[in-house]
Amino acid sequence: MAEQNNIKRVSIVSKETSSFDDHIGDSDDATLDDFFSDECLDDDDNDEHELDEEAKKARRRLKQIRASTFVRGGIGEGDEDSWLRSRQLIRPDDQMDLTDSELCEEIPKVLSCENKNIPQNLVIFSFREGAYIPLPRTSNVITLFEHEGTAIHVESAEAKAQIARDGEPLAIPGFADLKSGSQTGTTTPDIDRTADAENAEGENEENEDDAGSEAGGEADAEGEEEQKEVAVGTPTGPKKKLTNQFNFCERAALTYNSPSRSVETQTVPPPRSSFGANVVQWHIYDSYNEDFERLKREKEKEMLKEKKPGLQKHVEMKRGDAKTKAAEEFNRKYFQKCQILERMVNQNIFDEISHDYRYYEDPSDEYREDDGTLLPLWKFTYDKCKKMSVTDICLNTYYYDLFAVCFGSFDFIKQVSEGHVCLFSIKNPSFPEYRITTESGAMCCDIHKKYPYLIVIGQYDGNVCVYNLQVGTKEAVYVSQGVNGKHSEAVNEIKWGEDMQDGEVNFYSLSADGRVFNWVLMQNKLTLTTIITLFVDVNPVSGPDGTVMKMKASGTCMVFHPTNKEIFQVGTEDGLIFKCSTAYSSKYLMIYQAHYLSVHRMDFNKFNSNIFISCSGDWRVKIWEDMRSDPLFIFDLGASVGDVKWAPYSSTVFAAVTTEGRVYVFDLNVNKYKAICSQQVVPRKKNKLTRIVFNHKLPFIIVGDDKGTSITMKLSPNLRLPCKPPKKQQWLDQLTLQIQKLERLLSLVRELPDGIEEAQDDVATEVGSN
Amino acid sequence: MSQEVEETLKRIQQHKGVVGTIVVNNEGVAVKSTLDNTSTVQYAGLMGQLADKARSVVRDLDPSNDLTFLRIRSKKHEIMIAPDKDFIMIVIQNPTD
Repeated sequence: MAEQNNIKRVSIVSKETSSFDDHIGDSDDATLDDFFSDECLDDDDNDEHELDEEAKKARRRLKQIRASTFVRGGIGEGDEDSWLRSRQLIRPDDQMDLTDSELCEEIPKVLSCENKNIPQNLVIFSFREGAYIPLPRTSNVITLFEHEGTAIHVESAEAKAQIARDGEPLAIPGFADLKSGSQTGTTTPDIDRTADAENAEGENEENEDDAGSEAGGEADAEGEEEQKEVAVGTPTGPKKKLTNQFNFCERAALTYNSPSRSVETQTVPPPRSSFGANVVQWHIYDSYNEDFERLKREKEKEMLKEKKPGLQKHVEMKRGDAKTKAAEEFNRKYFQKCQILERMVNQNIFDEISHDYRYYEDPSDEYREDDGTLLPLWKFTYDKCKKMSVTDICLNTYYYDLFAVCFGSFDFIKQVSEGHVCLFSIKNPSFPEYRITTESGAMCCDIHKKYPYLIVIGQYDGNVCVYNLQVGTKEAVYVSQGVNGKHSEAVNEIKWGEDMQDGEVNFYSLSADGRVFNWVLMQNKLTLTTIITLFVDVNPVSGPDGTVMKMKASGTCMVFHPTNKEIFQVGTEDGLIFKCSTAYSSKYLMIYQAHYLSVHRMDFNKFNSNIFISCSGDWRVKIWEDMRSDPLFIFDLGASVGDVKWAPYSSTVFAAVTTEGRVYVFDLNVNKYKAICSQQVVPRKKNKLTRIVFNHKLPFIIVGDDKGTSITMKLSPNLRLPCKPPKKQQWLDQLTLQIQKLERLLSLVRELPDGIEEAQDDVATEVGSN
Repeated sequence: MSQEVEETLKRIQQHKGVVGTIVVNNEGVAVKSTLDNTSTVQYAGLMGQLADKARSVVRDLDPSNDLTFLRIRSKKHEIMIAPDKDFIMIVIQNPTD
């Protein structure tokens, strides 16, 4: 490096010398050469050895120049001491002392233009050729300093174009002097100018102004030059803006870095609670059920949406009162539980009775011959009905322990302001399960076989109403309306009919006005058709103004044939029994001259539908065979018979109640003339028995009296003797045995078996139309 | 509570031998009682547990089954419990009265 440095210096020097040579020209101060030599040699002590002769010459010339300047300066100042003083140079301590001969010794130094350090035989491996190939030798030229100038040659094409465009460049002071030099010399204008500056330094006395301006202008020399070049131009030339090469500034654009930002939000921690549960099988079962229900509901909803979009509103409306529904549901549950508890409390209270009811069989029956007894069980009363008479008792067809009791009055004078229908259950003897209040005395009721929650009630004022126990007992679902839409007198018997062909529910009602109506439960109303109007078979009575009136038969009771639902029989106040059909409204199938007083009740035998029984106010109970005008049996009970019923378990057993408060139980198979049980149930003077009903399933009867009490009584074993099958025919079941038993009995009684046919011929009696 | 229920409860209370009626809600708090405070709380707490256990027993045996009624006969009383999901009704009766 040191060598290079040296070379560098030398080259500069050489250039300088050349420029000096050019610029200053030959100065004649060679005399000073020797004068300076020692000092100069001191400076270039080390170098001189290497310098070649040419360099040495140049050096010498330089020394001359320097000397000349000094001389001139010194002369200019006119101070000789100044340069003498400069001779007194401070010698460094370690400077070698050389003798004159040594000093004068010429040490040649050779500058070679060849770089010895460049490797001669560089090779590179070529993968293509798979061999080392020699690299070309690098050049010996080492660029030490390079600077591109702004000046352009006047005669160059570029300059000509510029001049053509901008016109002749302005003459710069001092520039003109240099111009000749720079133009003639091979050096670049840049170096030229540097030399100029140096020159100015040297000639500062002479060109003070020049130098000052030059020094001041140095900074913006480039800019000025450029400006001038641009500013001065021919106006005719095309205005083409040159790119500013010098006023270059690097413009870097930094994109805006969006600052990274971390935003944190802290949410409210979700509520936590510790939960523990034992999972048992029924939990799983319940949740499955719930899920199933939910799915089902969703499905239904979807179905609704798809099918009828109009219905959706309706559904939403319903959802609105879901709350009240839930409250209702809650109340219902509450009520249910209350009922259970009440029943249980009652069971505890009536513990003995319930045991009797279920298990007690009178042991004394074994020692009696044929007689039986009735064991009173519970008494059913309802506070509000204590002064009303039981007008009808009807068993529920679904719950054997549930029965409806109608409260009203048979007496025309002592009519009640309002009637009641109570549904009692033997599970709760203290209070009715359901209570229905009617506007006037309830006279009769019937519970539908197929829909055991439907109950129809006939009232004393001729109105009928239908209640749905599932909906509630406060409001009737159907009520007869208007004067023409009801009976004109008390409804004495009401019966559900068989469902019509199109499934419509309907019922028949019989009234004291002699009409039988058929009512059909339509969508929202009852429709009424007259089935038959009964007339008494007597001559028409002529009125005071000459009109003729046919006497209507006042119906008191009605029964439907158990098998043939078209056939029904009506008992009347004047003791007749009409056999009619719903198919013919103008003809009676048969008229029985049954009783002397009003027929109270009739009942078909449960095993033989040709046999029926009737009771009347004339103290008599009569057993009839179909189409036979004479009764088979006549029993006199010594008092007005309120009701008579065949037993459901035996074909020959029936029971009757009288107004004297006695219950009679007959078994024709045992005794054809006397009751096998005659028991005073209520005080003879005070109470009258009005109604009796056999329970279909269990061996007890329900008896109603005229003081609003219903008494349940258990039949002792003697009263319900099952048929013993004959020894040879053990396989026969009770039903056939019972039928056989009755048949046997009847065959004894029937005096005129041929008479039936005779009777049948003249049964159809014409019924006069209105 | 509807009028019907009130009536029924009143009737139950008037029946022979009934010592007291308690209605406990599903949180085990007695909402209606005819007994004094101490015994009400005691009955409500203990019977609630018993009813839950009894129900669990019934349902464990057959998940489709459910408990409808529970009665405990003791020397002095008969305690009748009608449990429901939302409430428990308790009636204490002295049947020998």
